[in-house]
Amino acid sequence: MKRFVLMLLIPLLAITMTACITEPTDPKKTTQSSGASTSSDPSATSGLPVLSPENPVELSAWLTTSESAPAADNKLTKLLKEKLGVTISYEIITPDNAEQKIGVMLAGGEYSDLVGTTDLNTRLLMGGALIPLDEYLTEDKAALLYEHVKPYWNRFATDAGDGEKKIYILPNYNRFYGEITGGINFGASGFWIQKAVLEDAGYPDLDNMTLERYFQMIEEYMRKYPKIDGQDTIGFEVLATPGREWGLTNPPQYLAGHPNNGGVIVENNVATIFADKEIAKRWYKFLNAMNAKGLVDRESFTQTLDQYLAKLATGRVLGMYDQRWSFGPANEALVSQGKDERTWVSTMPVYEGCEPYYADRDVMNINQGFGISVTCDKPEIAISFLNTLMEEEWQKLLQWGVEGEDYLVDENGRFYRTQEQRDQSKDLVWRASNQLEALRDLAPKRQGTYSDGNAFGPNDQPEEFYATLNKYDQDFLTTYNKKTWRDFLNQPPDNPVYYPCWNINLVDGSEAQMANQQLQDISLQYLPRAILAEPDEFETIWAEYVAAIGRVNVKALEDKINEGIQERIANWGN
Amino acid sequence: MTTKALDTLKKKNGFWEKVMLQRELIFMSVPILLYKVLFSYVPVTGWSMAFQNFKPTIRSMWDQQWVGFDNFVKLFTGINGERFIRDIRNTLMQSLLTLVISYICSITLSLLLNEVKNSGLKRIVQNITYMPHFLSWIIVAGLVSTMLSGPSSGGIINDVLMRLKIISDPIQFLAEPKYFWGVVAGAHLWKELGWNTIIYLAAMTAINPSLYEASVIDGANRYQKMWHITLPGIKPTIVVLMIMSIGYILEAGFEIQYFLGNGLVVEKSETIDIFVLRYGIQMANYSLATVAGIFKTMVSILLVSTANFISGRLGEEKLI
Repeated sequence: MKRFVLMLLIPLLAITMTACITEPTDPKKTTQSSGASTSSDPSATSGLPVLSPENPVELSAWLTTSESAPAADNKLTKLLKEKLGVTISYEIITPDNAEQKIGVMLAGGEYSDLVGTTDLNTRLLMGGALIPLDEYLTEDKAALLYEHVKPYWNRFATDAGDGEKKIYILPNYNRFYGEITGGINFGASGFWIQKAVLEDAGYPDLDNMTLERYFQMIEEYMRKYPKIDGQDTIGFEVLATPGREWGLTNPPQYLAGHPNNGGVIVENNVATIFADKEIAKRWYKFLNAMNAKGLVDRESFTQTLDQYLAKLATGRVLGMYDQRWSFGPANEALVSQGKDERTWVSTMPVYEGCEPYYADRDVMNINQGFGISVTCDKPEIAISFLNTLMEEEWQKLLQWGVEGEDYLVDENGRFYRTQEQRDQSKDLVWRASNQLEALRDLAPKRQGTYSDGNAFGPNDQPEEFYATLNKYDQDFLTTYNKKTWRDFLNQPPDNPVYYPCWNINLVDGSEAQMANQQLQDISLQYLPRAILAEPDEFETIWAEYVAAIGRVNVKALEDKINEGIQERIANWGN
Repeated sequence: MTTKALDTLKKKNGFWEKVMLQRELIFMSVPILLYKVLFSYVPVTGWSMAFQNFKPTIRSMWDQQWVGFDNFVKLFTGINGERFIRDIRNTLMQSLLTLVISYICSITLSLLLNEVKNSGLKRIVQNITYMPHFLSWIIVAGLVSTMLSGPSSGGIINDVLMRLKIISDPIQFLAEPKYFWGVVAGAHLWKELGWNTIIYLAAMTAINPSLYEASVIDGANRYQKMWHITLPGIKPTIVVLMIMSIGYILEAGFEIQYFLGNGLVVEKSETIDIFVLRYGIQMANYSLATVAGIFKTMVSILLVSTANFISGRLGEEKLI
């Protein structure tokens, strides 16, 4: 009996040990071998493998998005399986958790087939997680993706450390085809103000807005209506949650009439940080005074992003500084509850003598969107899938839905929706089973207009945009004599070549990145204190804050950004 | 085989004879030994990262660039150094406070429960107090942050205090650095109190009842029985648990500080683990993270050995 147990045990151990030795696979080898096997495959000699239901494939996708995964009965998921034979398994990470997850994935060296994320610091790319896509981005392979990146090759190509610039990530937003239409500028910043406040104040003129006027409107409304729907009215909310720290740090540059370059102001192509400068001090001191009046939510700095959005979604927040996409879920929640008067429009306060520059030309995303990982054993299929999604047919399915079910076509070939279809598209539950929001967020898109002249999506179709608005919003726009929400912002001039500086890669582990992180930590540590302090304590805290910044290697950061600016000027100019 | 026979054998043939005699035991322990080696000792080779400028793109350990003690210098000097030392202080203080409070409270509670003669009531109290143990820290952090927020956001504590007219304005518990250690200790207490009493209650059942009877004859009252019989009876358990928890003193927990911490309280909230996450893993600075890990391990080993040694000197139980 004992011998028998031993005889069992020994082979078992041998198996475990060999398993341990053989298991870690070299990612490079896997891609090479699979590349070799497909090139011998006759179907792959010309172009890419064709996706069909006869050859079902499963692709795993790791996505950084605030959108939720589709419901199990999602109709587009079924369509992907029926028409292309593709099943996607999702792993969704909210943006505030993405950085650490990337760190963990890099350390582990295992990735999903498709990696869809914001990779501004090109950590995945430099960490060797992604394969170069250049060999697929040709006329005869992924033709649509080739068309997508061709005009902007120099912008998208990155040197991943081997000295050659290649394309690794397919941009997901703001690569336009045809005409640019659309009612909402999702990228725009603003000091948002609740429509009800403006209505109550008799629709005041929003031109030449100042901080004083903006907060005065909020204060008056708050005094008049201390409660909204039975809950305390909140005057101004500061966004400072992990991952959205820019809500706290970005406003000074706008107030001083500069566009969003992240933590720096660029004058004559030279970038300097503004966190410790007069323009910043003025804003925080003003906010400190507003806090003393009880207008600032004291919980601003202790809440999470979810709590912030939940608070906004109650409709009792009168104003905040944010970007439109960032509070999108709260806005949609309000609209779906029919509380349109509790949603916000943007205003653009500036210091005297400054011109507002809140809206920029939509910036093409760089290092954001899908890449294909080194551990993907079927890169041709993955790229073929992304290429297929770029077909107008699929773009329409993803954006508009199924013809006849989700939208209709009139005699002139214009797409439109019935009121019922519009209403259901606002219903979050309906969307989970009828739209692929998470995939759509990161997939490359044909923004602009299709070859038949219809806009990319319902919200960009001018007549649809207006018709989707509830009566309240239609009247609101009419009162202000404007057609879209875009009109509340400035007309953006051409972006400078280097713009925007916030997506200049600071390089992992560099002094510049360290300084950037330290600056952010210092802001988060001192600015909330400065804002919440008694007004007579402000100066002391500000002095501490400036002293703390003085100890950071700011020069390393500025040098790195300036280097990036010069490089872009040299390479991107057309 | 008797001990005597074993002894003679040992003297005769020494080590290998003993091995032969115990071969079945040795074979049985091999899998566990391998497990330990594989998962506890092999990973230590990763410490080499501390002496390298580690880049994850280079998969082989030997191809990395060796930088000597550069990473140690980086971690302990300059702005990072101040921050790291501050975080060590936070970790230690949060841990100590949690340890002391939870020890005192759980021993007190178990003494009290031990005196409850109605077993139904005793069981109900026990069940209620140890239930929170099964919640994950994420959920607890969410509960705590809601409980401590303003009354309009569902902050029950502020609400109660205001209704009792103890305070007139809500206290921003999570915005004041001075409360943070207390919040951590309080959350730990809430979650683990009942669970921690279980082991003491078990130890109490092992106390010989005749001791109580004898003390009653000698005229001891309830408190005297608790003080002179129950407490000394569970003293060995208390000491062993104490030594073990000292080994974990640099593990002040992670989730609660991570989720409740914010810029306003970072001075008191950031622990070593959060520093490692922010400046190590999130910035792909794995070498720095490893140095911090090595430091933690060393301190833990040192603390446990010291506690064990002192405990032995004082004539108490020893762990090893």
